[in-house]
Amino acid sequence: MIYQDSKTLLAVRDLHASVNGTEILKGMELTVRSGEVHAIMGPNGSGKSTFAKVLAGHPAYVVTGGEVEFDGRSLFELAPEARARAGVFLGFQYPIEIPGVANSQFLRLAYNTVQAERGKDELDPLEFDDFVREKMKLLEMNPDFLGRSVNEGFSGGEKKRNEILQMALLEPKLAILDETDSGLDIDALRIVAGGVNQLSNKDNAIVLVTHYQRLLNYIAPDYVHVMEAGRIIKTGGKELALELEARGYDWVGAEAEANARASA
Amino acid sequence: MNTATGYLDGLLQGQPPASALSWLNQLRANAVDRVAALTVPTTRDEDWRFTDISPLTKFSFQPAQEAQPLAPAAIEPWAIGEAAARLVFVDGIYAPQHSFNRSGIAVENLGAGFTSHAAAVQAQLGRLAAFERNAFAALNTAFLHDGALIVVPRELALAAPVHLLFIATRKHAASYPRCLIVAEPGSKLTLVEDYVALQDEAYFTNAVTEIALGANAQVQHVRVQRDGAEAFHIANCAVSLARSSRYHAVSVALGARISRHNLGVLLAAEGAECSIDGLALIGGRQLADTHTLIDHALPQCSSRQLHKCIVDGAAHAVFNGNIMVRAGAQRTDSAQSSRNLLLSGKARVDTKPQLEIFADDVKCAHGATVGQLDVDEVFYLKSRGLSETAARNLLTYAFGAEVIERIPVASLRQRLEASVLAQTEQRP
Amino acid sequence: MSTTLQNLVNQPYPHGFVTDIESDVAPKGLSEDTIRLISAKKNEPEWLLEFRLHAYRQWLKMEEPQWPNVKYPKIDFQAISYYSAPKPKKALASMDEIDPELLRTFEKLGVPMNERAKLAGVAVDVIFDSVSVATTYKAKLAEVGIIFCSISEAVHQHPELVRQYLGSVVPVGDNYYAALNSAVFTDGSFCFIPKGVKCPMDLSTYFRINTQESGQFERTLIVAEAGASVSYLEGCTAPKFDTNQLHAAVVELVALDDADIKYSTVQNWYAGDENGLGGIFNFVTKRGLCKGVNSRISWTQVETGSAITWKYPSCILRGENSIGEFYSVALTNHHQQADTGTKMVHLGKNTRSTIVSKGISAGHSNNSYRGLVRIAPTAAGARNYSQCDSMLIGEHCGANTFPYIQVNNPSAKVEHEASTSKIGEDQLFYFAQRGIGAEEAVSMIINGFCKDVFQQLPMEFAVEATKLLGLKLEGSVG
Repeated sequence: MIYQDSKTLLAVRDLHASVNGTEILKGMELTVRSGEVHAIMGPNGSGKSTFAKVLAGHPAYVVTGGEVEFDGRSLFELAPEARARAGVFLGFQYPIEIPGVANSQFLRLAYNTVQAERGKDELDPLEFDDFVREKMKLLEMNPDFLGRSVNEGFSGGEKKRNEILQMALLEPKLAILDETDSGLDIDALRIVAGGVNQLSNKDNAIVLVTHYQRLLNYIAPDYVHVMEAGRIIKTGGKELALELEARGYDWVGAEAEANARASA
Repeated sequence: MNTATGYLDGLLQGQPPASALSWLNQLRANAVDRVAALTVPTTRDEDWRFTDISPLTKFSFQPAQEAQPLAPAAIEPWAIGEAAARLVFVDGIYAPQHSFNRSGIAVENLGAGFTSHAAAVQAQLGRLAAFERNAFAALNTAFLHDGALIVVPRELALAAPVHLLFIATRKHAASYPRCLIVAEPGSKLTLVEDYVALQDEAYFTNAVTEIALGANAQVQHVRVQRDGAEAFHIANCAVSLARSSRYHAVSVALGARISRHNLGVLLAAEGAECSIDGLALIGGRQLADTHTLIDHALPQCSSRQLHKCIVDGAAHAVFNGNIMVRAGAQRTDSAQSSRNLLLSGKARVDTKPQLEIFADDVKCAHGATVGQLDVDEVFYLKSRGLSETAARNLLTYAFGAEVIERIPVASLRQRLEASVLAQTEQRP
Repeated sequence: MSTTLQNLVNQPYPHGFVTDIESDVAPKGLSEDTIRLISAKKNEPEWLLEFRLHAYRQWLKMEEPQWPNVKYPKIDFQAISYYSAPKPKKALASMDEIDPELLRTFEKLGVPMNERAKLAGVAVDVIFDSVSVATTYKAKLAEVGIIFCSISEAVHQHPELVRQYLGSVVPVGDNYYAALNSAVFTDGSFCFIPKGVKCPMDLSTYFRINTQESGQFERTLIVAEAGASVSYLEGCTAPKFDTNQLHAAVVELVALDDADIKYSTVQNWYAGDENGLGGIFNFVTKRGLCKGVNSRISWTQVETGSAITWKYPSCILRGENSIGEFYSVALTNHHQQADTGTKMVHLGKNTRSTIVSKGISAGHSNNSYRGLVRIAPTAAGARNYSQCDSMLIGEHCGANTFPYIQVNNPSAKVEHEASTSKIGEDQLFYFAQRGIGAEEAVSMIINGFCKDVFQQLPMEFAVEATKLLGLKLEGSVG
């Protein structure tokens, strides 16, 4: 939701980034204020997922230009784990499987690390168990997941719910959800979207990275951005998503090109 | 009478006459040198640890000098109705009167191919099936003469299968079948390599097959070994895959007293995929040994393997499946499964699925099981009124059928299913 | 004995100090004379000398095995000293009589030799180079009839037991290094748990190689009579030398009816430096015989050290319903090579075995699992389950799996599974994105990977093993 006088959480200016020497982001611009929900859409290969990973600090991506300010400080000065502790959360498109590491153990370590950073109390295993079970209800997750290895043998939908559970535990200021809807059936999509909606408030912001409009039926974005070739070429309200669903992406590119010619 | 060393030299008798092609003479001569330097492997060689090939050396085998004339009706039981082309070899000698080619592509005797497809043959022959340290491949190469040559031109998809039929008719004959298959970029081929017999005495088949797949080519390779009960069958098959090509093999071993099948698949470029399926169904005193090497030399290739053995009587099945992931072959995806069914108290299986991995970003899994029929499954069928024997036979058949079902040639698949069923039903 | 030998025996050998303690080191080289020298120094009975000479004569006819997946320069067996003992060596009445320098060495290593400052309830036999220097808790164990002492002592105190069981599981000519050990072994631990006794505490042996040019050839023999049970721990270290030392031990376990032996090892011999210079050649034969019905032998090993490891702790499952287990973590880094695994030989009816092997490869190392599961025609109803997982860290290491499965009985059921996983950029990034730093992430992933093995270890060992793996991998990830 757009609030009056909300503060700027994320300011991306002329961001360039490459992977294996190929430039993927070419002048990305984006401003996100607290309380807002943004959707970044675009065809495959437009750089959406790269943008999400660059914000979280994936080591394979090299920032070659531009600036990103997060909550008043330069994001690139922070190591990936420091960004997470400062409140940047990435919901992975392909969550990693960690054989042998119990989900409960992993969740508690992550939770306590972030709590310690915020000067809050850490929870012992018993306290944490009560706490996490509450959060799991929000996502209609079976408590069996706590005993299983992190993401190992989880279905696509279970992995995505596990991601949102982590978001619920870590209470980030900025959550970037990368293709969270992919691989979800309609029931799982409803549950995941419901969880995200409950976690959204006036102090945090959510950036949804998605190829399809269907997630946006459940989470109403304040802004919809269209990415192509490494930057945002059009921004609109949630009705833009419906138009993209109906007309595809090609016309946006053509329009942007026409605008560029007109202004030249 | 035959020491291991002298034995191979003895087999060299009756080599084909010198050719007008100097490269061919040179290749044969190099092979003869290797035969002279090598010996018959023994169980002290890690590669032959479970397969004692020494019974071979009790016989003296000679190559046939001319093809035995056969009535067309003699061939009929093995005919594949769908075939677009067929090459028949009798005791290793090309039999044009039984062969045909309606495929529109080059399917011909290798002897003719030496000149008609000189460039392709020279570029590939003896390159894939290395004989430096392999006595049997060297021996085959020393006898390079008749064989099958298939060249599928660029972007041509041949829907109907090509049938290569090798018939053994003579006792104590040695034959050295050689197949060279070149699938040019973007082409598609289904190949049936078929070994059959008209007699039950000892003979020796020593085959070498080389298959080169160009970029995006697809080859489906069915190999059926239904040699005679006293036969010795040794085969070396080497396959090389270029970028994004696909190779699917189904090998079925039913016959021979001792058989050994070496299959080497080199995934030589990114995006190549192979799937290798095998079934050995043996009984009596048979020994069937399959050695495979799937060599992931470059990144982003995938391989799947299912090998099954059904072992009855005092038979002995050996499987050695090596998956090699070379340094730098990242994003390899490989899965291998060895499943074995022992049907009698004297049956024996030795299986060794191996992984050798020198890259870190890979997905490799293998598994092996050895056991008997599932008691619960047998019980379930009995509870539905089947007799113990019928229940066991049905389950045994189903175990083997999983591999046979993967044969892409309908008539052959049905015939093999029937013969596996017949074989399982023979059991008391 | 020849006069030359006599002279040698009486001469002081003043070289090879690392711990500042005087050692009695035999001259380099191996011959029947060397063996007679060792036997004489230890004042051994004639039968044991014969045992040694028999082994030596077999060894002379044998060839070094070539099949392991490891590479190393040829060992010059004449350049090794086959006997090294801290001196003076005399029977000790109490721990207080031990050379304080030696005590300090082991204290530095964290091995409790002082009974008052012990770890809670673990009896320790300490082997320094070739000889046992101390055994704790002997008296207390003797009260329940347990014999726990050095094997040299056992030869004199309990010759009938040693003679009955020595070489009964690993025959002198079993393999090249077992034959060598049988010829030249100098000391080791002996442990005998009489009928029906459950050993009241964990027994432990701590091995230390100290001298640069000596090999270590210890011999361990554990016998659990009917209904007895024991848990035995083994730890090993060696100082850093830039040459290689040979460690060729033999461990024999015998379990009679309903007996239970659990043998745990944390092996941390010096592994060589990051360029592969120096380190121990660890060529060890460990084998347990489940001789009686319902007996059980369980091997747990955490292998982190040695330049080369070549060992296959095995179980011969002869007794009906006997159980063999093998739980292993093998970690290789830098230029280490490991070819390790197990052999489960099923002879008796309804015998069962479990194999869980976790290999971790980092740096330029090469880590092979080699395992044999053999079901003999007599082993009706035998079962085996094997799981062999590999983890690769970095792209210059190798991980290999060579399972040999030989089945000769149709009622047997054998299952083998193997998989690979990795610690790489993506795994660490996932943890980092949840606020967890690389060090903690690696430790968590490794512990998760090794969990099935670590939970077999006694508590203190599990903690030590976890720390050790963390240390070994420092700097190889991230």
